[in-house]
Amino acid sequence: MKKKVKLFDIVNNTILILIALLCVYPFIYIFFIACSDGTYLARGEVTFFPKGFNLEAFKYVLSNDDLNVFGGLMNSFIYTIAGTIVAIVGTYITAYALSRPQLKQRYVIMGLFTITWVFEAGIIPQYIIYSACGFVDNPLVMIIPSMINTQFLIICKTYLEGIPGELEEAATVDGANQFQILSKVYMPLSKPILATIGTFYAVQIWNQYLVPQMYLKSDKYQTIQQVLKRVVIVSGDASTAFRNVVQNDVLLNQQNLKSAAIFVAMVPIICVYPFVQKYFKKGILLGSVKG
Amino acid sequence: MSKRSKNAAVSAQPKKPLGQRIKKDLKKNYMLYLLLIPGIIILILFKLGPLGGMVIAFEDFSAFQGVFGSKWVGLENFKRVFTDPYMLTLVKNTVILAVLSIVVVFPIPILFSLFLNEVRVKKIKDGVQILSFLPYFISSAVMVSILYTLVSPSYGLINSIIEFFGGDPIYFMAEPKWFRPLYIILQIWQTFGYSSIIYLAGITSIDQSLYEAAEVDGANRWQKMFRITLPQISSSIVIMLIISIGNIFSVDLDRILLMYNPSVYETADVIQSYVYRIAFESAGFPDYSYGTAVNILKSLIAFALVIIANKLAAKYSETRLF
Repeated sequence: MKKKVKLFDIVNNTILILIALLCVYPFIYIFFIACSDGTYLARGEVTFFPKGFNLEAFKYVLSNDDLNVFGGLMNSFIYTIAGTIVAIVGTYITAYALSRPQLKQRYVIMGLFTITWVFEAGIIPQYIIYSACGFVDNPLVMIIPSMINTQFLIICKTYLEGIPGELEEAATVDGANQFQILSKVYMPLSKPILATIGTFYAVQIWNQYLVPQMYLKSDKYQTIQQVLKRVVIVSGDASTAFRNVVQNDVLLNQQNLKSAAIFVAMVPIICVYPFVQKYFKKGILLGSVKG
Repeated sequence: MSKRSKNAAVSAQPKKPLGQRIKKDLKKNYMLYLLLIPGIIILILFKLGPLGGMVIAFEDFSAFQGVFGSKWVGLENFKRVFTDPYMLTLVKNTVILAVLSIVVVFPIPILFSLFLNEVRVKKIKDGVQILSFLPYFISSAVMVSILYTLVSPSYGLINSIIEFFGGDPIYFMAEPKWFRPLYIILQIWQTFGYSSIIYLAGITSIDQSLYEAAEVDGANRWQKMFRITLPQISSSIVIMLIISIGNIFSVDLDRILLMYNPSVYETADVIQSYVYRIAFESAGFPDYSYGTAVNILKSLIAFALVIIANKLAAKYSETRLF
């Protein structure tokens, strides 16, 4: 009996570890391809580990202006940082105002937000309204319209309502106004929730493809996700964008270069992931409670 | 205490005229209203605005005449939807992808969390969990790009393996029959770790005395997994199932737009990608009104499905979504 239990543990642990590695192996594989020598790649000699290790492919894709990988990365960084700050502030102050009992209209406003969450208008009416507001080929489309996500607003509001009202009363007695109560009393208590919604907003802005693809047509505004679509997916195998190049005595073929482009597009997420995964986990659970 | 009696005294007084009351409220709460301004603007312009914009489905919309100036045509666009022979293909593709994602994708995180829960070494348990939900945070563009790299007929790993065993390379991204399996594999890869977090959270709140009682009765590990753990998380499973059914028509548009190409339209083109092409990739003036009508019909069916699923869930278990 006891031996059987142990066998179960060994088999179960091994299979689960293999599944977990299988989940992330493709990301590692892309890195290995990007840093292998193109000569070995062309001969099909690179299978599970890099061969002829070098970082020339990364240098090439980041410095080549035609590919626009560097430009896309920079745009994505700017949109993500600006968009996340605006979204955190916008969501938080709205959630704060809507969590105050003295605001009689809050149920109506919250109800309207919820309606727009349940019934989505679809991309065409959205495009018509946004273009009337001047968002076509305007980088602000990545920052302004999406600054309040209804789901995060609800999460934030619920959190604020959980903070005991006595704190506000005490601050009011001391003569604090609403702005001071918000910044001095509630903000310091809301750090965990702000970190959680902040990471989600950041990932959402960094990763989104549809919105920039609909609105940002000029090359100078494109995000890294759009660049990937153009250089890796559209170009297909008959690519003219990537010819074999020799840089610093290393042969780079299209496989090297595409992998390098893919890797730089995901490296920011991978780099912050270990530090913010606890917020991701928390956010998923908070979101699931509300459906 | 004193505050409450004061409030009572205030409300006992006869009501002042509306104007005065608004003035008083504004004076007292103007800071809150200031804080609300950005939220209200966002709500009206970018959330309610597009909802109102849906009226163009009943118009013959022209960008020059605008939403208010275009000709009203009533249900004309909706009639066209029902007579469009291509709709059949679109609905079929959408439903097949949705059914596959419920039948194939949905059970995987449940099984995964049942087995992960049996891992006794905390480091392995946490490590596996953290690695498994990483793909959820990687963009569709990266995931699809990796897929392209792996299945490329000239250098991809998958085709190298096929050739190693003596097969001929397969043009995965150009063959209609491969679109659905690849879409579903990407979906599993991207979402199973994420979904399992919800189930694992449900498992941790199970009353431990149930397991102790089962042990006394001589239950083995499999029995504990499938007779205690699984039924105990059934309410989470039902909620997640309702959500999946409600999302039947909301395919991952990013993934489809990135994966498909004209050679696989016969299996890959779904309602949303068709609406997208009407609006952004059609030659000449895009038929916004028709695209919106298609989308409204899709939303109505999806909404009906959520209601039905919710009714069924209420009938067969204690759980309801709303």
